[in-house]
Amino acid sequence: MHLTGRISASVLILIFVMSLLSPHLTPYDPDAVDLNSLREPPSVHHFLGTDNKGRDILTRILFGAKISIGIALVASCLSVFMGLFIGIISGYFRGLIDTLLMAVVDLILSFPSLLLAIGISVLFPPGIYTVVISLSAVGWASFARLTRGHVLSLRESSFIEAAEAIGCSHLRTVFVHILPQCIPLSIVYAGMKLGGVILTEASLSFLGLGAPPPTATWGSMISSNRAFISSAPWMVFSPGIMITVTTLCFNFLGDGLREKYDSRRDTYHSMKTS
Amino acid sequence: MKIYVLKRLVIIVPLLIGITMMTFLLLKAVPGDPVFSMVGERANPETIEMIRKEMGADRGIFHQYNGYISLLLRGELGRSYFTNRKVLDDIAIKLPHTLLLAVFAMALAGCLGILFGVLSALHPNRSIRRTITLLSLAGLSVPVFWSGLMLMIFFSLWLRLLPPSGTGEIRYLILPALTLSLPAAATIARITRFTVVDIAAMPFIGTARAKGLDELHITFVHIMRNALIPVVTVIGLDFGSYLNGAVLTETIFGWDGIGRFMMEAIVKRDYPVIMGCLLTGTTLFILINVFVDIAYHFIDPRVRLDASDR
Repeated sequence: MHLTGRISASVLILIFVMSLLSPHLTPYDPDAVDLNSLREPPSVHHFLGTDNKGRDILTRILFGAKISIGIALVASCLSVFMGLFIGIISGYFRGLIDTLLMAVVDLILSFPSLLLAIGISVLFPPGIYTVVISLSAVGWASFARLTRGHVLSLRESSFIEAAEAIGCSHLRTVFVHILPQCIPLSIVYAGMKLGGVILTEASLSFLGLGAPPPTATWGSMISSNRAFISSAPWMVFSPGIMITVTTLCFNFLGDGLREKYDSRRDTYHSMKTS
Repeated sequence: MKIYVLKRLVIIVPLLIGITMMTFLLLKAVPGDPVFSMVGERANPETIEMIRKEMGADRGIFHQYNGYISLLLRGELGRSYFTNRKVLDDIAIKLPHTLLLAVFAMALAGCLGILFGVLSALHPNRSIRRTITLLSLAGLSVPVFWSGLMLMIFFSLWLRLLPPSGTGEIRYLILPALTLSLPAAATIARITRFTVVDIAAMPFIGTARAKGLDELHITFVHIMRNALIPVVTVIGLDFGSYLNGAVLTETIFGWDGIGRFMMEAIVKRDYPVIMGCLLTGTTLFILINVFVDIAYHFIDPRVRLDASDR
C-alpha cells in the first residue's frame, strides 16, 4: 500500500484507540453540565474549549469518536453481510429471483441516499440502532450489485464446474467455493465506502436524527453549537476537523486498498461518497 | 434506440410506486389516527371526513394504499400540523428556490471541477498536480454543513462581504451555492483527471505533438473535446448529491427551499411536510436522472448508460 494509505491507517487506529481509552485519558465527564465554565475558549484546562453547557469539547470529541466510528463500522459490516447474501443468491441462482432482487437494488440506488436514510430513520424511534438500520438499509444495495457481478463471473470458472461435477450441493458450493472468493472484494469496497458512511452518519446526527442527546456525536456537536459561531467558533471548529480527518483517512485507505487489490479502472462511481 | 428510451420511461413506474409505498409506510408508522397524521387535528371536519372516506381507513391495507395514491394523484399532500397550510402550496413556493440554488451550484461545480481536474492532470509541476489531487479528495471528505459554517465565519463574520443567511438576490446565493458545489466539484475534478490522463496517453495526442502543435492547442482542442463528454455526463447524473446537500446547506444559510422546509419539519415531527418533501425530492431526482440518461443517449450515441453502470 502507498504511504498515504499507511499514514491514514495509523491515524485512524490512533483515533480509535484514544476513543476507546477516553474514560482514562480525560478527567471530565462528557455529559455533565458545568455552569461555571460555559463557552470557555481553548486553554490549559480545556484544550479545545468548552461548549454551551460547559462540557469539555475534547472529551466529547473522544467519546463521540466511539459512537461515530462505531456506528459506521457496524453499519458497514451489516451492509457487507446483507450485500454478500443477496448478491450471492442473485448471481448463483440467476433467473427470476435475480431479476427481482436486482429490481429492488435498482430501486434503492435510484433514491438520493441521504433522503432515503432520512425517510427510514423518521420511521423508527430515534436512537443508535435507528441510525445503524438506516445506514445499512441504504448501503447494502451497491454491495449486492458488486457481489452479484463477481459471482456471475465466478460461476463460469472451471473450479465451480469441477465442484458441481464431483457432486457438491448448492450449499457447499456457495459456502466453500464462492463465498471465500467474494469476501476480499467486499472488504476493499467497504474500505472505500467507509468515508461516505461516516459523512452520512454525521449528516444524520447534524439533522437531529442520530443518537439522541446528551450522547456526543460529531454531527450533533456541530448542530447544537452552531448558534454561537460568531462568539465561540471553536465549538464547531474541532468536531468538523475530526469528521473531515476521519473521512479523509478512510478515503485514502480505500484508495490504497483499491490500488492494491482491485485493478479495474472503471470505478468512477464507487469513488463518490454515497 | 426507441426500446432504450421506452425502457427508461417504463422504469419510472415501479420507482414511483416504491417511493409512494415508503411514504405510505411512514404514514402508517406514525402513532395515532393516520387521517389526523395526514391533515393534522386542526383541519376542518369536512376535509377530515373527505380524506377518511378516500383512504378507507376501516378497510384493508391495500385499499388504503389505493386511496392514498388517488389522493396523491389529485395533488393532495395533506396539511402541515403547525401552520395548517396545504403542503403542496408551500412546496410550490419553495421548490423554485431549491432549483435555483441547485442549478447555480451545478454550474459552479462544473467550472471549478473541470478547471482543477485539468490542472491536476496536465500541470507541468508535479507537486502542484499532487496538491490539487489531494485537495479534491479532501473536498469529498468535508461535511457540507461544516464547510458551510466555516465559509460563513470567514466571509460573513470576519470579512463582512456577504450576508450570512437569507433568501434573495445573488448576494445571498453565493455562499450556499459555493458550499453545495464543493463535494460535487471534487467528484468532477477527480473524474476529469482520470479521463484527461487516459486521453493524453493516446497515440493521436502524440501525433499532434509530433506535428508541432503547441500545448494549449493540444489541451483545449484535442484533449478537452474528447474528455468533456464523459465529464458532462457525470455532472448531469450527479444531481442527487445536490438534493442531498440542499437539506443541509439550506438549513445552515436559511435559504427558503424545500431542504430547510423538510429539516424544520423533522425537528417538529411534522409528518405531512416530511412526506411531501421526501415525495417531491425523490420524484424530482428520478425524473431528472431518467431525462438526463435519455438526453445523453441522443446527444452522443457512444454513451450507452445501462442501469448496471450506475
